[in-house]
Amino acid sequence: MNLKLVSIVYIFCICGISCTASNEDTSVLPEGFVDATQRSTHTNNWAVLVDASRFWFNYRHVANVLSIYRSVKRLGIPDSQIILMIADDMACNARNPRPGQVYNNANQHINVYGDDVEVDYRGYEVTVENFVRLLTGRTQNGTARSKKLLSDAGSNVLIYLTGHGGDGFLKFQDSEEITSQELADGIQQMWEKKRYNELFFMVDTCQAASLYEKFSSPNVLAVASSLVGQDSLSHHVDPSIGVYMIDRYTYYALEFLEKVQPFSTRTIGDFLQVCPKRVCISTVGVRKDLYRRDPHKVPITDFFGAIRPTRVSTDRINVTLANESDFIADPDEISANKRPFKIIMEPQFPSEFFK
Amino acid sequence: MGLLSDPSISTQNKLVDSLAKHVRKVCSGFYVLGVVWLACLALPEFNHGTYLSENALSPGLVYPEIRIDSNRLASQLLEELQRERKEHKSTTPHAWIAAKFNEFGLETHTHNYTLRYPFGGGKEYHGKNIYGILRAPRIASTEGIVFTAPYRAPTSVHPDISPSVPLLLAFADFARRKNYWAKDLIFLVTEQEQLGMQAWLEAYHDGDRVMNVSKAYLLPGNLPARAGSLQAALNIEVQDLEIDYVDVKIEGLNGKLPNLDMFNLVQRIMAREGITSGYKQTLRKKRRSNPSVFEKNLRQMLSMLATQSSGVPNGNHGLFHRYRIDALTIAAAKRQTHATLKGNAGSAAVPLLKAIEGIARSLNNLLERFHQSFFFYVIVNNDRYISIGDYMPALVALVACAFFKAYLTWSTLDFELQPAATATASAETQSGSEPDTAVEDGLPYGSVLIYLTAVLLIGYLGNVLPLQQYFLEIPMGAAPLTTSVLSFLTLIGFILPFVVVLPAGGLELLHVGFLLIFGCSLIVVGLLNFALGFFVAVLTVPVVIALETSEKNWNGSMRNLTRLITLLLNPMVVVYLIVLCMSFYQFPELKLDKLLLRAATAAMDASAYGLIDCVIYGNWLYFVVSTVFLPLWILCWTLALSKRRDIADYSDYEETQRRKPKPQPQTKLKTN
Repeated sequence: MNLKLVSIVYIFCICGISCTASNEDTSVLPEGFVDATQRSTHTNNWAVLVDASRFWFNYRHVANVLSIYRSVKRLGIPDSQIILMIADDMACNARNPRPGQVYNNANQHINVYGDDVEVDYRGYEVTVENFVRLLTGRTQNGTARSKKLLSDAGSNVLIYLTGHGGDGFLKFQDSEEITSQELADGIQQMWEKKRYNELFFMVDTCQAASLYEKFSSPNVLAVASSLVGQDSLSHHVDPSIGVYMIDRYTYYALEFLEKVQPFSTRTIGDFLQVCPKRVCISTVGVRKDLYRRDPHKVPITDFFGAIRPTRVSTDRINVTLANESDFIADPDEISANKRPFKIIMEPQFPSEFFK
Repeated sequence: MGLLSDPSISTQNKLVDSLAKHVRKVCSGFYVLGVVWLACLALPEFNHGTYLSENALSPGLVYPEIRIDSNRLASQLLEELQRERKEHKSTTPHAWIAAKFNEFGLETHTHNYTLRYPFGGGKEYHGKNIYGILRAPRIASTEGIVFTAPYRAPTSVHPDISPSVPLLLAFADFARRKNYWAKDLIFLVTEQEQLGMQAWLEAYHDGDRVMNVSKAYLLPGNLPARAGSLQAALNIEVQDLEIDYVDVKIEGLNGKLPNLDMFNLVQRIMAREGITSGYKQTLRKKRRSNPSVFEKNLRQMLSMLATQSSGVPNGNHGLFHRYRIDALTIAAAKRQTHATLKGNAGSAAVPLLKAIEGIARSLNNLLERFHQSFFFYVIVNNDRYISIGDYMPALVALVACAFFKAYLTWSTLDFELQPAATATASAETQSGSEPDTAVEDGLPYGSVLIYLTAVLLIGYLGNVLPLQQYFLEIPMGAAPLTTSVLSFLTLIGFILPFVVVLPAGGLELLHVGFLLIFGCSLIVVGLLNFALGFFVAVLTVPVVIALETSEKNWNGSMRNLTRLITLLLNPMVVVYLIVLCMSFYQFPELKLDKLLLRAATAAMDASAYGLIDCVIYGNWLYFVVSTVFLPLWILCWTLALSKRRDIADYSDYEETQRRKPKPQPQTKLKTN
């Protein structure tokens, strides 16, 4: 009976709130803004882009990560909110016939290692420890601000990983690996510390789907280039450089992203369908069960760009500055309101029994 | 308490007894198993297809950029070189080569070395290598790749390979214009075949070390410039710019091989450039001879093992392996098929140049030395191989005979000797003297140990004596000197069993000792050089199986046959027979008496070369033959003769045997 009453009251309250919301003057706000606020709850965007493998013959992984970097930067995430980890320096590798340049395409149209690339973790700094510290915010004292993921409860975070993976792990630097469990724990910790609002996890390695298997944190959407037991393959070779240029999944993902403009209406749902098996050879794996929204209604710029609802007003708005007294209460009043109290300590041991 | 020394554990049980009766059958079974195993590996079901396991190599991902102008340069240089060769009949045109290296902008240096030939009073030879270094433009000089071309003077007895130098120069000129080298490239022209190469390698690695100059035979000197640790080397031997096929030579010093990845890399790049290439590649055979796959594979395998077994490298690449540098030779043969058709001389060498470029770029991609693929393998076909895990059991099965027999001989030793010992003891007590200590000891360990040591010492002398200052000063060639020393030692070994006769039980103990040493040395030799170990095992294991010390189960004819075969298996005789066979195949027109004579001189030369190889290049074939195989033969000969000390003792023993016809059940009762 009591429960019923509570629920009735609850429903009534909700109705009341919604009524009051609808009763507010929404006509001032543009329609699109209302829709956007109902859909998206984030206030800022962060991206963590990681290439975990080194050596010249893994040129393609560097090209992968730099291409994604280029896309997210183009769509508006500033360098200060992109953490770029690259395990080896392909541009300055002595074997590179085009010194200082990295291409993601045999046509060599775009030098993805352009003038404005800011690498935050390079070479041997790319370790599992640094990566986990970065995610969980437990960076060592003295870490530069540019090397920290300073996200908050309103941040949408994009994590992109590429390298050589296996069933349940991703190899870092040819010497260590991060397991899917460690990754899941790191993300759970991020959630507990309110370091993200929504998280998009994208990984291009062999058996990539094994990496998101252990995730249990809410608001996580994950996509992987291949299922467990499958290899992710490279797309093509540039015979003038002599290496594989880019991986298949990332290639088709980029093809999609290149067409996205900052105010595009493309959704994450569309993005999850890139690289079908016919072109990818591997099957792209998606994990949606932790994500509460419908991906087909989420604009891609929620993760790959930094487009926030902005209200443009041509009217005059009164902004009254608050007085200091509004914030600082009178100390006398506080002490007057203070009620006397007494602390009673419960005995820790049942000592009365032994008297 | 040790299992073997525990007296409470009897070595005699029913299984051992029954096995001891059939030891020869079991051993023959092992022998057949080993040989059949190896033969089976030639079947496609038992060998594997080759594959590249080093990711870093990424062969064939680049388009070759070398163009026809490099070919033009090569043929122009070849013309110049031919003109130089007319003036330098027996020497190397060092000045011309160095000038060309300089012209192409390489860091050019000359390397001088001296050989002090020790035999016949001693002589000194001088030699000179030219090398140019192309420094990697954007990286420290910590690693290098070597491209070498041996130069042969026109007077050389070997086939003319002078076009390799222009080819090397043309590639150097091309490589200098490229900015992607991550390793220094060394272009090296050596002379005097392997001597120059060996001197250069020693100078490169140990040149700056202070050496005791008075004792060394090869004085390598020092190099003025180096290029870091050498990762790989490619030796180029080209007979003509217009080529028919490429033979990839891989066998190195002491049967070592380059990593299988390197061979596969060369094969893959050659195939890409459309060059017929392969291991032991020859001109295409007549259409009529069409052997089965098995036969072809088996031939290929055996010919590879035969090349490896001598331990002599079949090209300059072989000397690199000693320094843990993977190297091989691409020997391109002059065009013979369609020789009448005028080929396009303007672009004849382009495929080969492209292949060299491709190999160079793949080696340039290496991040560390070759380590992913096999170092021990047998190639059965150009794209099929046998790994060490598959071929080693063949040798193990052969050697198992020795250990198996040793165990059975050892476990029946006690039991055979016990009656004899008790008999002598009883005889002695009857005559009133106190029991001898030998009876308690049972076996004459001491004298057998001394005998073994003496025999090993004879072998060691064979290794040391020919190099003594006293012998070296005799004005005698290396061949007669070595042969006479070795024959002398063999003669001592031959006489030894007639002079020194072991006490009772000594032969049996010696038999066990011989079997153990034989097995151990064969397995060690087989691990270092499988081919040598296997061939020696195939030849000798039958005799070892046949050997028997007791007269019981060894009838007269069998014994005489074993003695004869043992004599034939003397290392000196084996060398002579091998040389005889080879000269028969090379000079079939000779008459028998001349052939025998020629083979004798050739065998003498062979043993001298073996010694020289040993002291200059570090080939241990001579060492193994004189220090291991010769003593083993002496032991084998001793056992084959089976001389016993005292006939009276022996008859006594026989008598006791007859008197106590069945000692077997008694011992059994005791032990059980």
